[in-house]
Amino acid sequence: MLLNNSAKNNLFKLWAFGCSLKLAIALASAATLLIMGGSLVMHYNPAIFAGLEQETMGRWLPQAMSRAPLLVAWLPLSGLCVLLFAINTLCCLLDWLSRFRARWRKSGEYLIHAGFILLTIAYLWGNISGFRSGPHRLAPGDRMSIPEMPGYQLELEEFTPQLEPSGRPLDMVNKVALWKNDRRVVQKIVRINHPLIYDGLVILPASFGQELRGFRFHMPGIGFVDLTPGSRLSVSSGLSLVVDNFLPDAGQDRQGRVIPAGSRLNNPALQLSLFGPTGTIWQGWYVLRRPLPEGLVNAGIYLKPVEPVLTPFSLLTINRDPGDKTALAGGVCITVGVLFAFFSFYRKRATGDRPEI
Amino acid sequence: MSKTLLYLLFAIYLMASSGYLLHTVWRRSSIASVSLILVFAGVILQTALLGFRWWTAGYLPVTNLFATLFFFSWALALIYLYFELRYRIRATGLFVMLLNLVLLGGALPRDPAVSALIPALDTPLFSLHIIFSFVGYAFFAMAFSIGVLYLCQSRRNTQLLPDLQTLRKINEEAIFLGFGLFTLCLVAGSIWAHVAWGHWFSWNIKSIWSVLVWMFYAGMCHAKFIRRWQGDVYAWLSIAGFGIVLFTYLGIGLLLESNHPLE
Ligand code: HEM
Repeated sequence: MLLNNSAKNNLFKLWAFGCSLKLAIALASAATLLIMGGSLVMHYNPAIFAGLEQETMGRWLPQAMSRAPLLVAWLPLSGLCVLLFAINTLCCLLDWLSRFRARWRKSGEYLIHAGFILLTIAYLWGNISGFRSGPHRLAPGDRMSIPEMPGYQLELEEFTPQLEPSGRPLDMVNKVALWKNDRRVVQKIVRINHPLIYDGLVILPASFGQELRGFRFHMPGIGFVDLTPGSRLSVSSGLSLVVDNFLPDAGQDRQGRVIPAGSRLNNPALQLSLFGPTGTIWQGWYVLRRPLPEGLVNAGIYLKPVEPVLTPFSLLTINRDPGDKTALAGGVCITVGVLFAFFSFYRKRATGDRPEI
Repeated sequence: MSKTLLYLLFAIYLMASSGYLLHTVWRRSSIASVSLILVFAGVILQTALLGFRWWTAGYLPVTNLFATLFFFSWALALIYLYFELRYRIRATGLFVMLLNLVLLGGALPRDPAVSALIPALDTPLFSLHIIFSFVGYAFFAMAFSIGVLYLCQSRRNTQLLPDLQTLRKINEEAIFLGFGLFTLCLVAGSIWAHVAWGHWFSWNIKSIWSVLVWMFYAGMCHAKFIRRWQGDVYAWLSIAGFGIVLFTYLGIGLLLESNHPLE
């Protein structure tokens, strides 16, 4: 259907409005002022904005809006301004493209414009359909499913914290593997500034700690042994000692039964079973601060506690940003654009080529 | 780096600034030439000191306030030389070199020792991020100085300063180059954030204000096309822009707390 003149005129006006540099300045100024004020609101209300780094904007914003709409409203408002500004930039870019033959020398500037549009799309995409999760606690050998990505599992194969002689943490060397439908798809050493990036997933170390796993003992005739849950020790002919449980801080309930009292090392206790050729000989708790249980003494087992057994665990962050490649493309466009524009700036100046509004 | 050399550097720039001051009073071009030679000498010494610090540390040492002020001052002196050689702006040097003295003077009482680099900063992306950022800031500082001088010139119309047209040209150029370099700083920073935190934009106050600086100067790259803004308005905007830069660089660290890796 052919458009009549006034409709054409209106469309033309709309397009001119979309390409208007004054509109761009108005939108950019509005976004700038909103974000300036908002950043201070954010700074003085850490309780509300604390989770913003741990989650994508798409997940964080709806909850935050329901909790503190007045304090958070600047975010969607400035987001809207930036979005309109990006649409405005797109119009300018399309307008330029339509006159490419005459204006190809300005490719640098317009690559910068294109890069900004790509970055806006990438941010929206990544924050609407991506996720951030963790930190996840994994000990060497542990494997966890990534719930947001069905079929994917993350395994920590080895972990070595690197410390300065003073004990200050330096780096966290994680050998990790990513499994997809029970097939290992990638394996990598992940450490600070060296994440595993695969299919939009970014896996990186967040922190680490040490887990109390059991206790080291000295046994006459045997030497040092580490007793941790699951370990089995052959003691003498036919006798074996199995560790059923370990508590770093054992308490007692009213009936005198041993119960966990805390996770810090205070009153360590091991639940042990002693098996003979015919079956269980003794079973019970050995609270390390108390004398060795009679069941063990009678079997001729002497355990001298030496030190706790600690194993390091790693805290890993798993993020997914499906827009990361688009963002990278935006970054490349902008970089190339800037380098180009450095030349065209002087050329434009020499030829007096400059739009005046 | 020995403090004596730092004081020597400060003295050289101080003499250059005094020379420019005398030039504005006596209007002798020979004095301005001596000042320019002094700036040259200062830049050479400062480049050597920076190179030495880089060489001994094994990385570009820009991880604390002393080091960033020192680098900022070096970049500003270098950029001043560029504009001076290109446009012969002479008396303009007084204001730029005074600003440089403030930066260097801020660094002097601080400890110049270089500390071991923490692994989080041990990446070339960090060096690129910092170099582009401070060279960009230095261009913005230059634009600020030119903006102030533009306002003086538009009121006093003195022979000492370049004409308004030239000042406007220099201002636009400084803003454009500063914007381009600051853009590269943000690209390097975003890639770094992606590998360090797993997301390329972080909602911490320093990152937010860096984006604001970028938006502001992107706006200024366009504001010059608006005829009505080409004179005083543009000069005032250059001054306001530098205010945003200063708040981003110093204000956040001094007045607020940030979890940006360089705080
Ligand atoms: C964040 C968004 C934007 C960025 C980073 C940006 C960046 C730039 C840069 C660096 C220049 C070169 C300036 C110069 O040569 O001195 C430029 C030029 C220009 N921009 Fe933008 N811009 C953006 C948005 C826009 C928008 C929304 C419009 C249109 C409404 C627009 C229209 C123009 C025009 C017309 C030019 C002049 C090109 C010429 O020399 O003919 N820009 N832009």
